[in-house]
Amino acid sequence: MSLLRAEGLEVSTTLDGRQARVLRDLTFSLQPGQILGLVGESGAGKSMIGRAIASDLPAGFAVSAGSLRYGHEDLVAMPRARRQGLLGREIAFIPQEPMASLNPVLTVRQQMDEHLRRIGVTDRLARARDLLAQVGLPEPDAVLQRYAHQLSGGMCQRVLIAMAFASDPKLVIADEPTTALDVTIQARVIKLIADLQARSGTGVLFITHDLRLAAQICDDVLVLYAGRPAERGPARALFKAPRHPYTASLHLAAPGMTGPRHVLLALPHQMPGLRQIAGMTGCRFAPRCPVVQADCTVTEPVMAAAGHGTACHHPDLAGQIATPEAAPIQPAAKRAPEVLRTSNLRRVFRSRGFFATSETVAVADADIVVHEGEFVGLVGESGSGKSTVARLVAGLDQPSSGQILLDGQRDMPRALRRRHVQMVFQDPQSALNPRHRVGDIVTQAMRVDGHSQPADRTARAAELLAQVGLSPEIAGRTPSQLSGGQRQRVNIARALCVVPKLLVADEIVSGLDVSVQAQLLDMLLELRERLGFAMLLISHDLAVVRYLCARVVVMHRGAIVEQGDTDAVFTAPQHDYTCTLLEAVPPD
Amino acid sequence: MLRTALLLILRRLPVAMPILLLVSFLLFAALRVLPIDAAAMSLPPTATLAEIAQKRHDMGLDQPIPAQYVIWLGDALHGHFGQSIALRRDAGALLANGLPTTIELAISAMIVASVLGVGGGLLLFASRGTWGEAAGDLLSTLLMSVPDFMWALLLLLVFGVMVPILPFMGRLDAGLTRPSVTGFLMVDAALTLQPAVLWSVIRHMVLPAVALGLAFAPPIARVLRSSLLDVYHDDYIRQARLRGVGETRILLCHALKNASLPTLTLMGVQFGFLFGGTLLIEVIYGYPGIGNLMVDAVRNADLPVIQAVGMSYCVVVIGISMATDAAHQLLDPRSHAR
Amino acid sequence: MNAPWLRSGRVIAGAVLLLAVAVCAVAAPALAPHDPGDQDLLNILLPPSWMNGGDPSYPLGTDSLGRCVESRLLFGARTALEVAFFSALGAGLVGTILAHVAGYFGGAVDWVIGRAVDIWMSFPPVVLSLILMVGLGTGTDKVILAIILVDWTRFCRVLRSEVITVTRRDYVSAARLLGYSHWQTVTREILPATRPLLITLVSLEMGIAVVVEAILSFVGLGVGANQPAWGQMIADARQNVATSPLGLVLPMLAIFLCVAGFNLLGDGLRRALDSRQTAVRSA
Repeated sequence: MSLLRAEGLEVSTTLDGRQARVLRDLTFSLQPGQILGLVGESGAGKSMIGRAIASDLPAGFAVSAGSLRYGHEDLVAMPRARRQGLLGREIAFIPQEPMASLNPVLTVRQQMDEHLRRIGVTDRLARARDLLAQVGLPEPDAVLQRYAHQLSGGMCQRVLIAMAFASDPKLVIADEPTTALDVTIQARVIKLIADLQARSGTGVLFITHDLRLAAQICDDVLVLYAGRPAERGPARALFKAPRHPYTASLHLAAPGMTGPRHVLLALPHQMPGLRQIAGMTGCRFAPRCPVVQADCTVTEPVMAAAGHGTACHHPDLAGQIATPEAAPIQPAAKRAPEVLRTSNLRRVFRSRGFFATSETVAVADADIVVHEGEFVGLVGESGSGKSTVARLVAGLDQPSSGQILLDGQRDMPRALRRRHVQMVFQDPQSALNPRHRVGDIVTQAMRVDGHSQPADRTARAAELLAQVGLSPEIAGRTPSQLSGGQRQRVNIARALCVVPKLLVADEIVSGLDVSVQAQLLDMLLELRERLGFAMLLISHDLAVVRYLCARVVVMHRGAIVEQGDTDAVFTAPQHDYTCTLLEAVPPD
Repeated sequence: MLRTALLLILRRLPVAMPILLLVSFLLFAALRVLPIDAAAMSLPPTATLAEIAQKRHDMGLDQPIPAQYVIWLGDALHGHFGQSIALRRDAGALLANGLPTTIELAISAMIVASVLGVGGGLLLFASRGTWGEAAGDLLSTLLMSVPDFMWALLLLLVFGVMVPILPFMGRLDAGLTRPSVTGFLMVDAALTLQPAVLWSVIRHMVLPAVALGLAFAPPIARVLRSSLLDVYHDDYIRQARLRGVGETRILLCHALKNASLPTLTLMGVQFGFLFGGTLLIEVIYGYPGIGNLMVDAVRNADLPVIQAVGMSYCVVVIGISMATDAAHQLLDPRSHAR
Repeated sequence: MNAPWLRSGRVIAGAVLLLAVAVCAVAAPALAPHDPGDQDLLNILLPPSWMNGGDPSYPLGTDSLGRCVESRLLFGARTALEVAFFSALGAGLVGTILAHVAGYFGGAVDWVIGRAVDIWMSFPPVVLSLILMVGLGTGTDKVILAIILVDWTRFCRVLRSEVITVTRRDYVSAARLLGYSHWQTVTREILPATRPLLITLVSLEMGIAVVVEAILSFVGLGVGANQPAWGQMIADARQNVATSPLGLVLPMLAIFLCVAGFNLLGDGLRRALDSRQTAVRSA
């Protein structure tokens, strides 16, 4: 008998007086000891499932049809007390934001003690130590005394995993458990979850946006699109031979780490939101489908009940979707002028305490060169100092020592500098003033001197928006009315108002869904062709760097450990850290 | 725990002392540049100009202000705050009489404000999502529009005049002798085992303390409510719920401690204001603390008393903010890193 | 333009209350049956006209000097609103400028302004305004000046932390990179973000100013004996609280309605203009 079984599950809410179904026709079953992956981009409804299990749906949302059963019990109709009895004992959760999921004012020991007391452990301190050792935390005693802010994200997640598995639960729901973690930590945490799961025979519901990661760890995978299952099947089969165009597109939209570089498949538009779904007929993927047929918009396809199923009228077409091989990235000409050279760049942060001054070396003696028109990737994990380098190069921060030469010049005057280097910020939410209109934001640079005419600015705004693939009417909107991908385009457009020689881009695709990311990456390549700027791309995603950049610089704990041609570094890494980094990436 | 708290307070002294010194100097300088001739005021109106000049010299008023300040500071450190011009008594002695009275009133009022504020905040929070939320919200806005002195007059009108069940003048019934051990009347009455005196002191304390408490409870309640609402959006509350922790335990063990941090910060500021609020309450209830002293001194332009009383307000307010800072640090493990 | 704040019940309620007070203030000479200073020593402590012994020409009765209570209430509204408006404007201006300078530039400037606020805050506002009134003497302008000198810190403290939060946003860095001067950055990028909080604080400060004016007049250090003020009426009526409690209640009611108007307005504006409610909390 299955451990967890959904049968035609439907979650809906009311929107403008109409019922909007966030999740629909969801049918799956999870066997004991299995890992089932739920894969989808943001807005696909995948997190609703975890919340439905805990009866923790957001206000206004409710299960409106179908059933969700845990063993013999109905999770939807279950009395509150019974559910609370199950939670933490038989059903455990591993959260997305480990740091925020531990209470900041209680020690790890206090929180573990509370949990262990509840599940009826008598020798709690010894058990807590034991559990922490099991999840690979060195010095469990020290960790027990700590608060969340004194631990790293990876350590917090280990503590939470230890708590989740403390009661040998039958079912564990892991909701994007590694999204907030660095890639090397992610690999270890995934392995840890798999090990514990295998040891205790737990069934795991693994919710993720990353198809590759799911293929690596899960037995079965269910792909969701706009609240509906698109494809379901054994992980390897689904990954290698997708039968739904969406699954195939997800695969082709993500840049790879091995083999020839293919042009990314950039699906048009974005996943329909709640409002659009309500008025749709036929397949929800049809408007974006590369192989859409006439009947797709008429009737909604239904997924076969068992085996490798797909909700597509034409499953045979999925295999035909392919993208051509990309033109190799031309390395910069040997004699191309340098737009940026840093030598012995160093940034030390001093924090003055009452008695002592502590120093943190954020960037140590970094030498980076970027030639005209060249894209250089700067990779590293959080805390590696890569963002500090970006701020130093952009001029938002002053180096403690060392030099930054722009166009071979030291101390370029501000007026010149702004035409030479611009920056695209990581978080478009923070980078766009919510109180200005998009048209004003992208033409900000023209307002500096106060000489520009409104008509000129309107014309330039339309031009810029067209360049980044947005329609001109967007100029009248405010950032809050845009999607994440659109905001990032506006963010890029602003930096290109006066085309700089060097664009510093800090993690500009990190928060975006893979299909939106593909659109942006291709747009950047196209813009380079047209405008000829160079870019220093800061990223934690090696595949993105491989797709865009001719050269790569690897940073670790403030120091540059390796740099060179991207292909050379990624195929034959010289430094141990680069090797670790490369091994941690889930295989294509 | 107590030792850590004391240590934390002591650690703040190096910051507090310079502020205190600066405040005392500014106050001193401000009072000296006033167009008030302290020498002339301390002599009978018949005094000649020469006598006044002589007096100015004796009082050191002909010296530059910084020099005068140094003299004043030296005296103040020895407990001498100068002679009251109007009352012809040592300002220090007046202060020693009034300060314990005011502190006693302020502490009682803080207790009332905390109890009402925290209780009200929990009630407001518990009513979230019901019709009571909007009603409680509106009520708290309206209550915030009644300043402390109006509460004092209202309570006096209702419980002193219309339904005379509580005394509203002074701090002790006539005919009772006041014990003096520490200067804090409530403590002294308890120490000297005089239940009649203690009862009378408490009865006199009710109206002023409740008036002040009522005025300062609504902001505390509102901050506690909104902090709790914020905290309940945090991931760790959801995670605790997903571990099966019960709602009561979540509130008491997980949410309240986190929500108390911003509440405490506000209480530090509010209690500073509250201590200033005692001034008017004392005037209204004829309470013999430093507030009455201050108002009389201000009316008579009695500079030494204004200076001494003003400084003692500052010392107490700075003390309150040091104590709340220390409590904050004690409760928030993240602040140790700083 | 369908501004969201126009649809808030609180904003409407507050505006209606304040409008009523403002009408009373502006039309006081027309509405008042008597000169507020005229003493009718033969008719002291009269009850309102509808009560036993009341006189129809004194609708709300007279005080201990035989002055018309209604007229004094109406003219008191003038004093209250004048003080509220100018002192909130002044304190807001001083506090806002210092808060933006401190929060935007940080470093030593911030340190100095921060310590100045600390020093100010170590005086209870009532005590500080009393001390200032000793030096300034009585009068409406003096009261306004005293409130500005005391209450600029309320704006500075709250706005400063808001400015710091906004300054850390990437769009401020972006504006600098695009070549904006400090002045352009503050006025075009930061001020629009702090404006909702500022408007709210100004509204709340007007309520506070009404209370402070009443307190100062109550202890006899306010606008001066010749100008009718609610605080003064309370102080006068306190002597005769046993015989004519209404003389005490009416000015208190006037203060309450006025302050409640400002508080409702401020509260409603805060909710409508600013989704983040955290910043005002420490106000």
